[in-house]
Amino acid sequence: MSGEASSMSAPRGWIQRSAGMWLGTLPLMIFVALLLYLSIASANFLTLSTLDLILRQAIPTVIVCLGLSVVVMAGGDDVVSGGIDLSVPATAVLAAAIIADQISLHETALAIALLLAMAGALAVGIVNAFLVVWVGMTPLLATLATSVAVVGIVKVITASRRINVDHAAIVWLRDGVFAGVSVGVLITFVLFIFYFWTVHRTRWGMNLQAVGGSRDAAEVSGISPKRYISQSFLVAAFAGGLAAMFILARGSGFTPGTEENLLLEMVLATFLGAAFSPRRVVTLWGAVLGAVLVSALSLGFKSIGVNVFWTGCIKGALILVVVASASLSGRVRS
Amino acid sequence: MQNDNTSNTQALLSMEDISKTFPGVKALDAASLGVAAGEIHGLVGENGAGKSTIIKVLAGVYGRDSGTIVLDGKALADVTPHSVHEAGVRFIHQELHLVPHFTVAESVFMGQEITGPFGLDRRAMRTRTEQFLSESLHTSISGSTLIRDLGIAERKLVQIARALIDDKARLVVFDEPTAPLASGEIDQLFAAIRRLKERGIAIIYVSHYLGEITELCDRVTVFRNGVDVAVLDHVDSHSADTIIEHMVGRELEALYPGKSHRIGDTLLDISQLSDGSRFRDVDLCVRRGEIVGVAGLIGSGREELTDTIYGLRQATSGTVTFDGDAINLKAPWAAVQKGIVLVPRDRRHDGLILDMTVGDNINLASLDEVASFRIENREKAARRAEALSDKIDIRPRRVEAVTRFLSGGNQQKVVLARWLATGSKLFILDEPTVGVDIGAKVEIYQLIEDLAKEGAGVLVSSSDPAELLGLCDRIIILMRGRVVEDRPAAELTIDSLLALTTGGHVKAASA
Repeated sequence: MSGEASSMSAPRGWIQRSAGMWLGTLPLMIFVALLLYLSIASANFLTLSTLDLILRQAIPTVIVCLGLSVVVMAGGDDVVSGGIDLSVPATAVLAAAIIADQISLHETALAIALLLAMAGALAVGIVNAFLVVWVGMTPLLATLATSVAVVGIVKVITASRRINVDHAAIVWLRDGVFAGVSVGVLITFVLFIFYFWTVHRTRWGMNLQAVGGSRDAAEVSGISPKRYISQSFLVAAFAGGLAAMFILARGSGFTPGTEENLLLEMVLATFLGAAFSPRRVVTLWGAVLGAVLVSALSLGFKSIGVNVFWTGCIKGALILVVVASASLSGRVRS
Repeated sequence: MQNDNTSNTQALLSMEDISKTFPGVKALDAASLGVAAGEIHGLVGENGAGKSTIIKVLAGVYGRDSGTIVLDGKALADVTPHSVHEAGVRFIHQELHLVPHFTVAESVFMGQEITGPFGLDRRAMRTRTEQFLSESLHTSISGSTLIRDLGIAERKLVQIARALIDDKARLVVFDEPTAPLASGEIDQLFAAIRRLKERGIAIIYVSHYLGEITELCDRVTVFRNGVDVAVLDHVDSHSADTIIEHMVGRELEALYPGKSHRIGDTLLDISQLSDGSRFRDVDLCVRRGEIVGVAGLIGSGREELTDTIYGLRQATSGTVTFDGDAINLKAPWAAVQKGIVLVPRDRRHDGLILDMTVGDNINLASLDEVASFRIENREKAARRAEALSDKIDIRPRRVEAVTRFLSGGNQQKVVLARWLATGSKLFILDEPTVGVDIGAKVEIYQLIEDLAKEGAGVLVSSSDPAELLGLCDRIIILMRGRVVEDRPAAELTIDSLLALTTGGHVKAASA
């Protein structure tokens, strides 16, 4: 049945539309309810220092979310066939492993370690772009495969052991404060502004969104979808590389298995972010807000003493709610 | 162009001996097409004649197997969407190709955004868009409106604005641009196209509406069976007959078959059916061997009514009696089980699995009959599909051809063949000939007549009044969700039918 039909103001259409809107905001309401519960259950949850902690904890998620959002915008937001990059967290952890391994175990200069890490990250992006654009795999499967492969490489590099990092620059990213705000939060904010400007205020960004909005429309407008889709994977990999330093800062080094939680939080935050947008599409600011909310939730659960395994369970359930309500609200309204 | 007198013969675009073969179908067989600057060139032909294919070859969507394309004196070797765009060729596709959540200005400047020192200059794009829309297309659409909030006609204008706003267009191809437009909007569009011509732009105008072709075009190329069979250098209002002759390649017999079917007892009896929103208190009766038409404008509840009878939508009140039993259909599969089938209006999406072969599509609804021990017997299936395909003359005559590459008329015949195979009792046909050429139309009409002759009930929902009058025994007319008339077709004329569907008589009474 066509979507045009809902433009008539028949009574059922109205009910359907409100049901659709209600379903679309359902995940948001659950989140607000959870946060409210946490602030009541834990006395010091709603304080400035907690907020600072939440933001700092959220940094790696925020950055990988920026990357994922760009891929979703270029590939379209269909959960199965649209754009998605599940390998960003693994890429970030790969870069983190390279940096940690180089500066702590091989005493490489930080700059060179960073270059090596970024090269590794971009290589993953190139493989993704190749698999999706030239081989024609669905992004979901292609990036799932690269993600698994990259995690394997990480294990080879680190032998699945923790690597402590006490380099001054990394410590500064963790503890530095400028004008009363954490340095890491400031840098992430600047990064967000840069991504936002690139996506919403440049030709490149508009063309990227056009490709995601309608591949045919972009094609007939002389925009090459292949170019933008492959570039989106590089942009995502770049975000992964950037997130690496903050992963090291947050954990004071490399910890095996970081990518699992990061993946969970990234997917949850990005698609939760779509619920913020009035048009129910994935946006950068929605994803960032989503990441902060997810971080708040994690911290909140920790502060009231919920078992960390249960937290993962709850997040998984929330992903289901977010994705299910998105497809349900789309179906009810059409 | 140095000499004005040669402007009509000097081709801006010259496509020579273009051939293109799809799996199982030769779509173009050494076809040619030439257009001069400042000329509106009509491109006509039945569906499957190769019009769309040659346009897609020009657009770089399909590669060509052989042939040359010369644009502005330069041979184009590598034809890609990008290279033809660079060369100044623009396409106004039948599909709108717009992103629903983009604004009008964003859509117009898609791929050609204006940038300033700080990135996109959104204000300039909005101003230029609104200026272009009001000056060139005489319409006032705000540049910041979302596409999804516009009507179809307005979206069409946005699409045209997008192709032309950069002033670099040298050749514009219009593919069935008027299909979704109302008559006032058509005049507006024609005025815009004529202004393009005055600016020396070459125009290829593809349409099924010969009235539009003869009104607008300077020259016409007629395609048939993948070749250009005629080029008319002078086109006037009398050219339509000549064009049809070339298109069909044979004399047109009467479009509609004689009504020789015999009407029997009641098959479907609907009483006071309502769906709570789109139609109310509908009474409708179809007897065995009877063809009943449903007329009504878009929004009259016509589509929703047929969908409800088939179980795609649910009624909120009323009764449906079929073959003597009261039924309450919850889903299409239940309808099919009872012997009610629907040939949907959107055959490409709802009616066919485009990537399956013709044979598989035909057998889809009657797999039990081609199965041995519940496993499909491929040989039996192929034989059966071939028999049906022969019976209703599906071309190409190969059941292993992939359905996607068939013309609209032949795809429609595949859908019909599938339901013929099931031996159903009631056939609901929603816009059975939309987008179908004249030749295939005649064959589809004959098929419908044959169904009635064999004792099936047929319900035809159509927006073509001539079709309903020529085909049906009785016509019910819906307006705003209510049946306003239920009359034998013999008592109606095109004029009275149009008046009843548009509420013309109501207007006369209240004026």
